[in-house]
Amino acid sequence: MTKRIIKWRLIILVGGLLIGGGTMYYLFNQPHRDIQAATADYKLEASALVNEYLTDAATANNKYLQDEGESKIITVSGTIASISNDLNNQTVVFLKSKTDKAGVSCTFTAETNMNAENLKVGDQVSIKGVIRSGAGYDKDLEMYEDVILEKCDTI
Amino acid sequence: MKKIIFTIAITGILALTSAFTAPTVSKLVSKAGHINFFSHTAIEDISADNYKVVSTLDTATGDVVYSIPMQGFEFEKALMQKHYNSKKFLDTKTYPKAKFKGQITNLDAVNFEADGTYNVTITGEMNLHGVTKTITETATITVLGNKITVETKVNLTLADYEINFAKGKPSTNIAKTIEVTSKSEYTKEG
Repeated sequence: MTKRIIKWRLIILVGGLLIGGGTMYYLFNQPHRDIQAATADYKLEASALVNEYLTDAATANNKYLQDEGESKIITVSGTIASISNDLNNQTVVFLKSKTDKAGVSCTFTAETNMNAENLKVGDQVSIKGVIRSGAGYDKDLEMYEDVILEKCDTI
Repeated sequence: MKKIIFTIAITGILALTSAFTAPTVSKLVSKAGHINFFSHTAIEDISADNYKVVSTLDTATGDVVYSIPMQGFEFEKALMQKHYNSKKFLDTKTYPKAKFKGQITNLDAVNFEADGTYNVTITGEMNLHGVTKTITETATITVLGNKITVETKVNLTLADYEINFAKGKPSTNIAKTIEVTSKSEYTKEG
């Protein structure tokens, strides 16, 4: 084999390893989904989302939840029923109309918490986040569970 | 005359009875509990946190119920989070919620009216990945003013819940038994 052929084969081999290694590195260290940078998949009233779940949870889960946890991004609008903090110091804004049995719980992040600072109970607001689970009556808890959105921010 | 006295007496008795048996709210609710699960192997440690755990605590009966939205678990590595949610592992789209329904076995050891730290055992049914198993966990109940904090710890064997991986990275990088800890805070009424 001539030196030229060896040289080219080496270049191709090293090139291949670099591409393969680079891909592996990227996959392994891929960033988390940026919910706020993405466009919402659905936009609806908090009441409508709750009622979709209370009517048929199985169909709603099939529509909104995704296999690998990259579930739908939803913009919900509604009236603020309460504002609280969770154990990770994230602000939780709870949207619920007086006549509904359950509401939509929206958890902000360390980066977006400040946008929730000026919100008050009674305000009408639009919030975008990713859905984690739906609403429904739980017979063990003996109460209605709310729709849970995380990674939220005001729109 | 006798009729009037009789009527007054009955009314009086009923009024007194209802005063002494006024229903007290013993079932407390927490909508922002925290659960962490931790796996340790020689190759790597894996940890995930969920801050959206819903739970109830009945101080009169010792009944506890936890409802865990499975897609709420966050991992440091996005790829790991995707694998965890996928059909091969926890299949969270099919089983979006895990549930624990149990009871404090030594309720007498706790005084919910007095500030203090109480060690208890909780036994119940854990439903995860579609499989239900009886588990027993240790817990610490802390009462401070009108706040009650329940912290639990239990080890779960993944294979018990049909979460298996025969070969490849998962079988070497994930422990067979995972340590699960939780913390829920409740506020007493009145």
